[in-house]
Amino acid sequence: MRGIYVIFKKELAGYFLSPLFYFISFLMTGLLSIMFAISLDRFNYTATNAMLQLGTPPQQQNIHYAVFLPHLSLVNLMMIFLVPALCMRLLAEEKKMRTFDLLLTSPVSSLTIVLGKYLATLVTIIGLLVVTMIYPVITSRMVEFNWAPTIIAFLGIFLVSAVYSAMNLFASSLTDNGLIAFVLSIVFNLAIWFIGALNESFDNPTTKKILEHLSINTHLAGMIEGTVRTSGLVFVFSLIFLFCFLSERVIESSRWRA
Amino acid sequence: MIEVRKLCKSYGERQAISNLSFKIEKGDVVGLLGPNGAGKSTTMKIITGFMAPTSGEAKVCGYDVFEDPIEVKKRIGYLPETPPLYSEMSVEDYLKFVAELKSVDSARLKSLVDKAIVKTQLVEVRKRLIRNLSKGFKQRVGIAQALVSDPEVLVLDEPTVGLDPKQVAEIRDLIKELRGEHTIILSTHILPEVQATCNKVIIIHEGKIVAQDAIDQIEKLNQGAIILNVRTRKPHQLTSQLEKIDGVKQVESVSRTQLRLTLNEQDELIEVIAKEIIAAGVGLIELAPSRANLEDVFLKLTYGQNS
Repeated sequence: MRGIYVIFKKELAGYFLSPLFYFISFLMTGLLSIMFAISLDRFNYTATNAMLQLGTPPQQQNIHYAVFLPHLSLVNLMMIFLVPALCMRLLAEEKKMRTFDLLLTSPVSSLTIVLGKYLATLVTIIGLLVVTMIYPVITSRMVEFNWAPTIIAFLGIFLVSAVYSAMNLFASSLTDNGLIAFVLSIVFNLAIWFIGALNESFDNPTTKKILEHLSINTHLAGMIEGTVRTSGLVFVFSLIFLFCFLSERVIESSRWRA
Repeated sequence: MIEVRKLCKSYGERQAISNLSFKIEKGDVVGLLGPNGAGKSTTMKIITGFMAPTSGEAKVCGYDVFEDPIEVKKRIGYLPETPPLYSEMSVEDYLKFVAELKSVDSARLKSLVDKAIVKTQLVEVRKRLIRNLSKGFKQRVGIAQALVSDPEVLVLDEPTVGLDPKQVAEIRDLIKELRGEHTIILSTHILPEVQATCNKVIIIHEGKIVAQDAIDQIEKLNQGAIILNVRTRKPHQLTSQLEKIDGVKQVESVSRTQLRLTLNEQDELIEVIAKEIIAAGVGLIELAPSRANLEDVFLKLTYGQNS
């Protein structure tokens, strides 16, 4: 346990004492500020103009759907590319700088190393999400709305980002080249969205079902609308477990391969 | 303290070490000596548990490196060939991190970090970022991280590489100072380093141990011959005369005023030769005996030649 905390603390300091986190936050807020203002303005326009509400579905007249969901899908889109930037150095750089030798000759298990690094990444992602939460918080000072679905949607984005981090940690464990880890991570992150699209190419209903279940889209859709389903949670946690486990195996195997 | 039995490691086709067996007692300072690529680093990596051997076993403080890696790692301080430094950390934070990683109790942490900093003379750079340090300082931070958990066994892979002569001397003094408190294995291909710091040598060549013993014992391997360099002011024709002396094996004329004699190990013989040269009246200005030393033994064992 102590080992996890020691590595967690060091990695967290690495995230928050380096310019990377602040640079990423800056990029995110820059883009989000523009997009959020636009969708809020548009929502305001429709909400105050009865004529415009005529043909639009009632969903679109809810601030959760009209403003917060586009905001969160943009956050998700950015996470697909930013989580790799956060994670690429985790193990790849240790290998490149040979500090991996220190970790492997210290009295800590491979699991400790993985968990320490993974938890630090999760906290950093929470930090980024807190930054993106600023927008709904400010909005709540101007209008009154129901917080619950928004919070659940944020939780959904957090869980998806947690899956990204586990996959990207794994990608980072495979190579000592940060750039390869980065590209591989992006491929992984996109793959869990697109794997569901494959079900168009199969006729077998069982295969269709499996592919549909594998797509994160299916599981996130519920959360986005404000409902938490256990099947979704199980899916997310098993992905996290799988990729943390794989990373642990890769680290352990470096003692045997050479 | 450290026991290695029939250790083998191959990287694919290439056999890095084969059938290595040795034993190191508590408090020993052992030099692992060998030309580049002899298998020194591989041996050290296996002892530290960084890498698994193909076959054979290694024990540190009674714990098997592969059965109880955590127990072994708690007792070892390791300096790899490239010091494992986090360049974005300050020296002090880095050493604190390493000490915590090596599960030093928080009560002793500060004093051990301070001790390591003082011992490796890093006091004036303790607050600086590692990336801004020179190579010599980085190497010393590397040594400090091996020391910081106050381990029973220190494994140092080429500890003086990249240091200037003064720093090399300091590191050697440091190692001498640590003798007794810790059991130390250091690898090097620099012979004076072994002579200056170690009390035992293991010479490895092409993955095999070619000699292992205490330093003075190893030096005796090549005993029985002294090389005597003689220089005179005037040209001489002493060659045949000196060859006649009993105990002189070979006389070689280097130039008209210089001679190199190979003789049996007898101090009186030098006296006789000196008398002979002075009697000839050629003006003896230099008479320098050189004993066969570790270097000769090393070259003989590894390259099969005697310099």
